[in-house]
Amino acid sequence: MPIHDQGYRRYLGSRAAVGRGWLVITKAGIRTVLAKRSFIGLMLLAWAPFVVRAVQIYIAANFAQAASFLAPKAETFREYLGQQGIFVFFVTIYIGAGLIANDRRANALQVYLSKPLTRAEYVAGKFAILFLFLVAVTWVPAILLLIIQILFAGSFTFFRENIFLLPAITLFSLVQVLVATMTMLALSSMSKSSRFVGVMYAGLIFFTTALFNAIRGITGLTSFAWISPTETLEQLGNLIFRLPPAFDMSPIIAVIAIVTLIAGSAWILERRVRGIEVVQ
Amino acid sequence: MSAVPQEVPGANASAGAAAGAIVQATQLSKWYGQVSGLNDVTATIPGGITGLLGPNGAGKSTFMKLMTGQLKPSKGSIAVFGEAIWGNPSVYSRIGFCPEQDAFYDRMTGLEWVTALVRLNGYSETEAVAAAKRALDQVDLIEAAGKKIGAYSKGMRQRVKMAQALVHDPALLILDEPLTGMDPLMRRRTIRLIKDWARAGKHIIVSSHILHEIESMTSNILLINNGRILAEGNVHAIRDLIDTHPHTVFVRGADPRALARRFLADDDLLSLRFEPGAVIIETAKPDAFYARLTDLAATGEAGSIDEVTSPDDNLQAVFRYLVKQ
Repeated sequence: MPIHDQGYRRYLGSRAAVGRGWLVITKAGIRTVLAKRSFIGLMLLAWAPFVVRAVQIYIAANFAQAASFLAPKAETFREYLGQQGIFVFFVTIYIGAGLIANDRRANALQVYLSKPLTRAEYVAGKFAILFLFLVAVTWVPAILLLIIQILFAGSFTFFRENIFLLPAITLFSLVQVLVATMTMLALSSMSKSSRFVGVMYAGLIFFTTALFNAIRGITGLTSFAWISPTETLEQLGNLIFRLPPAFDMSPIIAVIAIVTLIAGSAWILERRVRGIEVVQ
Repeated sequence: MSAVPQEVPGANASAGAAAGAIVQATQLSKWYGQVSGLNDVTATIPGGITGLLGPNGAGKSTFMKLMTGQLKPSKGSIAVFGEAIWGNPSVYSRIGFCPEQDAFYDRMTGLEWVTALVRLNGYSETEAVAAAKRALDQVDLIEAAGKKIGAYSKGMRQRVKMAQALVHDPALLILDEPLTGMDPLMRRRTIRLIKDWARAGKHIIVSSHILHEIESMTSNILLINNGRILAEGNVHAIRDLIDTHPHTVFVRGADPRALARRFLADDDLLSLRFEPGAVIIETAKPDAFYARLTDLAATGEAGSIDEVTSPDDNLQAVFRYLVKQ
């Protein structure tokens, strides 16, 4: 009778190269999020405007009498991405608030970072989770709408006349998603409570918008729109889609405000994502 | 996902031992702002089991986190297996770290947690599950592998942390106070496991503030206090010093009064007091006491013993004495 070794056996398979740890973090995060039914509900809701726009494009392409007021224009895509802002907000809070905060609460960071995983890879893995879901409610449906327009119209005329739409949709979605993701990750790294992080993020968005509206109400000026990330994105969106500016704010100021927000978030992440919390 | 040829850490372990130093610290210091965590430490940790002994706040955990590359030295350098550890993740795969604090999600099962972590070491999904099961089996937790960690006892939590440390078969295991909260039987079993791992070629650095724990695993110790290495080498040199100081032990059990009755029969008992669900004793002969306690836990005559811990007051007294000298 063969005698089998029941003791500990060393792993004889292959191991992924160092530097792929972020992918493991991302995959695990996506799996966790997709296991939540309420999140699937939120995603379905986020795609509802897409269905409405798709029907609009279908009717405009097939019913001549409706084409005059339903035919898609470049603004249609800008409006669509603007509307998706509300879903960007909710998805960011739903997924993003706990991304780092939960690891901090569970003390898991010190274990993660004792594995072959750098802090940059950890942040990249967490970033990718939120980034992918936000792209799924902005860039993906907007590009699909563009494709649907071509399919229903049966020609490339609209696309050729508005060839800038492809880079515009991509660039604006990227900015929108990057700002939301970086801000939320930075906030998530600052607390051990995902609820508190969610409240902080909502507070940041609402407070800055309210502050801007208050200043506008008092002074009548809109050049202070850079105070609010939402209004700054609005301004950049119009600029990217070649539409008249929403506010009396220089595009350079808008770009500086967004870059500062992203750089500030990166700085916070560099300071806060550590295996050991140093209390000084 | 692309793959690279497998590194077999254990295979290098013996080579590392032969070469001498597993960990080499040179004028190593770590400050937390104005507070010094580790101060100008130069030490060489050889292969096999090394005990890092010192009271709470001595700098043991800081030293261990510098060894695992989680902290950047403020001054000096630290090398593991001859390579600088800070910012060198390729060395991390040869190290298994068991932190002192709980570090897991209560809502996950032990198997899920260990599997998720070993994936960071580059294991495929299927292999990760198999490796996690093997590691949980090693620490006698396989039957509870499917239970949520939130339902684990303190000792089980310690063991799941150890499982995640050894799941990727590292050459060096760094265990920060691994026996804290374990019952006497599990303590004995864990000590035996640690010795088995060392015999299998692993190098182990284990910290504790209890000399008797360290002594049961190794005679090679590093004494640390106030961020400085006070002594290194054979444990027997400070053994007598420890014995001249009373040793306090906290025992939590199902029936503290029954435990107290048994303890009162011992000659070496110096004092005894109760806390809710526990009894705290002071003994003049810790070795004899621990031996009797283990027997008592095995027979179950005084009810189940759930947790044994020792405050570091006694060790602190010895350190004060050593510093004065």
